[in-house]
Amino acid sequence: MSAVGLADGFRAMLQRDLLLAWRRRGDALLPVLYAVIVATLFPFALGPEHALLARISGGVVLVTVLLAMLLSLDAVFRGDLDDGALEQMVLSPQPLALLVAARLLAYWLVTALPLIVVAPLLAYMLGLERAAQPVLLLALLLATALLALIGTVLTALTVGTRRSGMLLALMLLPLAVPIVIFAAGAVGAAQQGLPWVAPVAWLAAALALALVLAPLACATALRIALDS
Amino acid sequence: MNAFKLWYHKLGSPPYFYVFAGYIQPWLWTIALALAAAGLYGGLVLAPPDYQQGDAFRIIFVHVPAAWMSLFVYGVMAVSAFIAVVWRPKMAEVLAMESASIGAAFTLIALVTGSLWGRPTWGTYWTWDARLTSELVLLFIYLGVIGLYHAFEDPRQGARAASFLAVVGAVNLPIVHYSVVWWNTLHQGTTVRYFGPSSIAPSMLWPLLAMTIAAKFYYGASLMGRARVSLLSLERGKDWVAEIVRKEPAHG
Repeated sequence: MSAVGLADGFRAMLQRDLLLAWRRRGDALLPVLYAVIVATLFPFALGPEHALLARISGGVVLVTVLLAMLLSLDAVFRGDLDDGALEQMVLSPQPLALLVAARLLAYWLVTALPLIVVAPLLAYMLGLERAAQPVLLLALLLATALLALIGTVLTALTVGTRRSGMLLALMLLPLAVPIVIFAAGAVGAAQQGLPWVAPVAWLAAALALALVLAPLACATALRIALDS
Repeated sequence: MNAFKLWYHKLGSPPYFYVFAGYIQPWLWTIALALAAAGLYGGLVLAPPDYQQGDAFRIIFVHVPAAWMSLFVYGVMAVSAFIAVVWRPKMAEVLAMESASIGAAFTLIALVTGSLWGRPTWGTYWTWDARLTSELVLLFIYLGVIGLYHAFEDPRQGARAASFLAVVGAVNLPIVHYSVVWWNTLHQGTTVRYFGPSSIAPSMLWPLLAMTIAAKFYYGASLMGRARVSLLSLERGKDWVAEIVRKEPAHG
């Protein structure tokens, strides 16, 4: 058996996940479709009044993206658990945290990136000011990465359980509260023409912390969930 | 090995803990009930009505201890959960998981009494104030821990996973609190301080402290009782449980 380096392991994992996602590329559209549907429901529920929709547009888009990601989080390890690839990841000579990080990157690219691409469209339809659009994109970029990192840790914990969807929502909500507050705070401030750098900086700081800690925590959680 | 260390390690053994918990439980109950009786009498009868809030303030003798306990129990749970994740002793898992239910109950009591107090004082049962919101988030964290624990078929594996979640929640809790404070604040400032004079009348302070200590002892008593039941269930295949069942007179 030839020795495989860390970078090779990471690249192989990422390549495999992206290839798998590409082979089933229709699946990647489902969260996007879900987000579009949810965002479309808001004007029907609240009325087509432009001023009201414009005021809540940033928050609605953020929450919609969060829900769409929550919907897809359940599947991050599901396939690998069913076919036994997850055990192979745990047993492989590469650190589990590294492989998990590759999986996370693939998940973010496949799920969050399409949502970020469609988010400006949703925000425009709801009447978000043009000046706040870049801030929304920036906030979404940071917030989705944070959510993916934290959400995967929780998903790893529920890997050994059946019917984990509702439980995942219950577990993720408390952890998502600060993310939503700061992301929506930045967009709200930009809408009112106030400085919005502080909440974005907080998100970025949290992301820096989560980038280092979350893969390690995720690896620990996987070991706990698989150990039986 | 000195005597205390020996005793501490003995406590990690389920049969020893079962006997020990059964021994101290009545004492904890007695102290809790006596202090609660004194505190309630002092708070509901002796203390004068508040000059602004009238008699409505009297709910603090339940509300404030419950709110403090909701955090205190989380602290105890997080520490034993951390020990459970790192060193995996069975007792730490049991104590962390049984603490979660009690902590959730205290959090619920704090939320309900708080909203009952809010109606006459603030004019609304619920408002998205920082402290209320973080207390609600705390309740969700507790429910997540309890839910995860019960989602596993193997209780020990469930306890380890839920313990890990409790540790993650402990890191998250201050972040939630400060982000929510940054977001919105209406709750009155804190009136009881450890250092320096408290801005609360002594006739109201002592029943509050009595109730707080009563709540601590109640937590201890309840935890011991729950841990004993949980141990019997977890260790039901073991000899020491069979021994206890044999000695116990048959009920019905």
